Amino acid sequence: MMHMSPAALPSPQQGGSIRRLALMLRLVWREVPQSFGAFSILIACIALGVGAIMAVITLSRALEDGLIREGRVILGADAAFTLVQREASAEEKAALMRQGQVSQLIQARGMARSLGDDAVLVEIKAVDAAYPVAGSLVMAGETGPETRPLATLLAQDAQGRHGIVVDPILLGRLNIRIGDALRIGDGVYAVTATLTSEPDKLSGGLGFGPRVLMSAAGISTTGLLQPGSLTRFTYRLALQPGADEATLERALAEIAKAVPDAGWQIGTRLRASPNLQRQIAQFTQFLALVGLTALLVGGVGIANAVQAFADKQVLRIATLKSLGASRRFVFASSLLQVCAFALIGISIGLGLGLLLPRLAVGFAGDLLPFALDIRFHAQEALVGLLYGLSTTLTFALWPLLRARSIEASSLFRDDPAAPAWRGKLPDYALMALAILAFVLVVLLSASNQRIAGYYLLAASLALLTLRLVASGVMRLARAVPHPKMPVLRLALANLHRPGSLTPSVVLSLGLGLTLLVALSLIDLNLTRQFRAALPGIAPSFFFIDIPAREMDRFEAFLKEQSPAATIERVPQLRGRILSVKGVPASDLKGVERVSWVLDGDRGITYAQTPPEGSSIASGAWWGAEYRGKPLVSFAKDVAEGLGLKVGDEISVNVLGRIITAEIANLREVRWQRLGINFVMVFSPNTFAGAPFTYLATMALPASATPEMELKLAQALGKAFPAISAVRVKDALNAVDAIVSQLSLAIRVSSGIALLASILVLGAALAASARARQREAVILKTLGATRATLLKSMLVEYAALGGIAVVFGLVCGAAGAKLVVSGLMNLDFTWPLLPSLSIAILAFITTIILGLSGTWHILGQKPAPYLRHA
Amino acid sequence: MTPKAPAIAMQNVDLSLGSGAARVHILRGVTLEVAEGVAVGLVGPSGSGKSTLLMVAAGLERPNSGSVQVAGQELTGLPEDALARFRGQRIGIVFQAFHLIPTLTAEENVAIPLELAGVPDAFLRARAELEAVGLGARRNHYPGQLSGGEQQRVAIARALAPRPTILVADEPTGNLDEATGRDIINLLFALKRERGTTLLLVTHDMGLAALCDRVIRLKAGRIEEETALRGVA
Repeated sequence: MMHMSPAALPSPQQGGSIRRLALMLRLVWREVPQSFGAFSILIACIALGVGAIMAVITLSRALEDGLIREGRVILGADAAFTLVQREASAEEKAALMRQGQVSQLIQARGMARSLGDDAVLVEIKAVDAAYPVAGSLVMAGETGPETRPLATLLAQDAQGRHGIVVDPILLGRLNIRIGDALRIGDGVYAVTATLTSEPDKLSGGLGFGPRVLMSAAGISTTGLLQPGSLTRFTYRLALQPGADEATLERALAEIAKAVPDAGWQIGTRLRASPNLQRQIAQFTQFLALVGLTALLVGGVGIANAVQAFADKQVLRIATLKSLGASRRFVFASSLLQVCAFALIGISIGLGLGLLLPRLAVGFAGDLLPFALDIRFHAQEALVGLLYGLSTTLTFALWPLLRARSIEASSLFRDDPAAPAWRGKLPDYALMALAILAFVLVVLLSASNQRIAGYYLLAASLALLTLRLVASGVMRLARAVPHPKMPVLRLALANLHRPGSLTPSVVLSLGLGLTLLVALSLIDLNLTRQFRAALPGIAPSFFFIDIPAREMDRFEAFLKEQSPAATIERVPQLRGRILSVKGVPASDLKGVERVSWVLDGDRGITYAQTPPEGSSIASGAWWGAEYRGKPLVSFAKDVAEGLGLKVGDEISVNVLGRIITAEIANLREVRWQRLGINFVMVFSPNTFAGAPFTYLATMALPASATPEMELKLAQALGKAFPAISAVRVKDALNAVDAIVSQLSLAIRVSSGIALLASILVLGAALAASARARQREAVILKTLGATRATLLKSMLVEYAALGGIAVVFGLVCGAAGAKLVVSGLMNLDFTWPLLPSLSIAILAFITTIILGLSGTWHILGQKPAPYLRHA
Repeated sequence: MTPKAPAIAMQNVDLSLGSGAARVHILRGVTLEVAEGVAVGLVGPSGSGKSTLLMVAAGLERPNSGSVQVAGQELTGLPEDALARFRGQRIGIVFQAFHLIPTLTAEENVAIPLELAGVPDAFLRARAELEAVGLGARRNHYPGQLSGGEQQRVAIARALAPRPTILVADEPTGNLDEATGRDIINLLFALKRERGTTLLLVTHDMGLAALCDRVIRLKAGRIEEETALRGVA
């Protein structure tokens, strides 16, 4: 045999890269219209996932922008200075007035009674002539909009009654009309108009009763402004029109310098409602996690769609390789095609991200006092793009890398298919990079990176577990001895054969069901807690602002009304945490979980013995005769959130005095019992001589009826008009309404994740339809009846649905328990009937979807398929 | 005078596929030399290894042992991408099922190997090849718009466009009627003669095999018989 020197290997020609790129683009461009159907599920999955995430981001941005834009209106001024239980001194008022116009607001709670016996707890807001400093107050009269000035409406009438403008709810509750008289505390008032919209409503926080607007002179006749009563004095500062943030900062600095020890809570237009901002952040964080779940579930659909695409491309890829295409060329052209469709999905998702918030605002926009400006932001669109691309790469890379290994020799085979492939180190490195990119996009765009990180970890574990479960099921199905019944044999074979639905169904349905079960159980437990458990253990009434000198008489009165009732009472003051371990409250980091305790003033108390419903977790209680330096008992869960332990010091501002106390012990508090308990309980000597009021609870016996409660409330109103009574059932109803709205939001958003699961399931069924058609045709040719085929499919889908349901129930319940017990500190129960309902519904859905996808196959005639095979 | 090097030289080629109980010994110790410009017909019963031998010669299958040289280049040790490049420029393949890219026109299909090789005037050359197979007027038509015979002509043009050293054809008339198949074979041999390309042809048709310069009969993975029909080696 002759040997000659080998011909030089043809090397790539100069400019060849550009020509190859041009060929690649042409191939992709021509393939796109043909492949649209094949990629429709990929587009849908990406659109849904990106749309969900973008809707949350867009809504959150609009809410934040709205709060900042309307901050001045929400707050009622550029800055607000609030004192509890005392008015500002002349010096403090002067310091404020040097900076701009000042408007005073007094807020208190009281009982409003009609001239009959009905009584309702109301939130009183006493305003001055400058109110409102920002925004407009809209009122209604008897026949239409009220146009008279507020000062006229609040002035005294001929009978000496001060005018009040009330929440229209109050008219219904007390069965009165505009023009009727009302008693509030010791005073009598005339209802002159109703409130339609209040520009600074949000800055007042959650109230227990309807609003009543009156003048400063009017509130002084209520008898509610007693030393120690829970009255808030707010001073709203309006700077020169157009004052920027630097001017505001300067004004605040000058005020702080002039009266450094005022101890007031300061709000600015940039953080007009910290409570609402926190709630928005938490809610959007939750929605973002649901959107992320939809994206992850959709990722399974992406993987399936790309796998199906790659399977159909075997001949094309083999042909290109036979003509000289390198693996890189093959991989790049396939990736380009997938990314082209991903971009279509992302574009639709971005559109959904704008549309869904608008729809939400259309349904529920009147819940907010300001209009939301939903608009396109380039930065957010970039985030959506990154989400979509990183998800696509994470889930599409593996099937594309596998397709790259298709050999040109496939063209010579009768049934060409992608070869078995395990991948090499560079492939795994590329996959790792794609996953890292996805993780980075999620973490960097999350408002709470810790929660996002935990969630990603949990979701990854769930996906991995599901994949292992699917593999386990397939192995088991393979290992099980062949059943004698053909139906079972066929079904079993379908569970583990190449191209089986098992991984897709278990992954997508399993993940979607886990989320649905978890959210449903959280919802059920919250509802049970509020509707069933709490009313049984909570007191019947809370009484607030009981003057110290009246407490004994009040308690005697209650005992007389209901001898069998249990009455508890504690002294109450209001205080605000100024510093923790020497660090000012405003400088504390990493305390997001308990940041609510630092926002504004809190109820505090003092006691000789530990309160009911709590136990000492660490440290020791002070002795009954203790007279040393101020000590404080701190609620353990809050202390842990603030990084506090026994021996640490905190400073609080109470009635203008700064008290520094050492933590003597930490208490475990069972908040859900709704008994009297406080975050901070001080040693009795701490507030010696300070004015205070009492807070009391009354638990009527179980035999008490709602009519008895109402009668008691009426009697109370007559005997003690200045004492406010909160009927716990009313409060629970108010919270229940909020929880119901929250539940609705939870269900809607979990529906999105479930929709993604169903999409993916549908895609998996569609992808396998061709193979099933061929199989069904051959089986029919060999004598299988439609009934046999149908039964085997039924068994197969029932098995798959059952596996996904079991996984969803177990993991969903575990997740719900973690949230309910671990995070919310509530008792967790696993209600059987609702869980079974979800399980049965999901089970039936899997079977229906599976059968509907394959039903038409059963009726196909064999000849056309056999002719073209 | 130094004898010319063979276009194809195989030495003791062994190839098995599958694993375990499913492992099949396809080629057993095949040794073969084909001179430049010669047409070789590969015949034999189904499963004799004809198509596999073709794939080995085209660099589409790697033997488990032995040596395969095409145009003096040893193929067995070449990395995959280098092999793809070599194949694109030195080896033309004509398939029974044509395997044209359905979303590209006839001209674009023919241009693919040239574009992959980075040839600057790929489309001009593609057009010339289509003219040579009589389809110049159909260059902007898609495969779906062409008859079977026309598609095979495009495939032949595509295979010959890079001026390959060897042309392998696997049952090129298998999907065509008799008359069209005859036309295709005439075209194939005419172009082969014109360009001095070495042709390796798998066929069940003994009449077609008789047109070749040599016929190699395979049985059970071995060369059973070689017949020189026209006095060439």
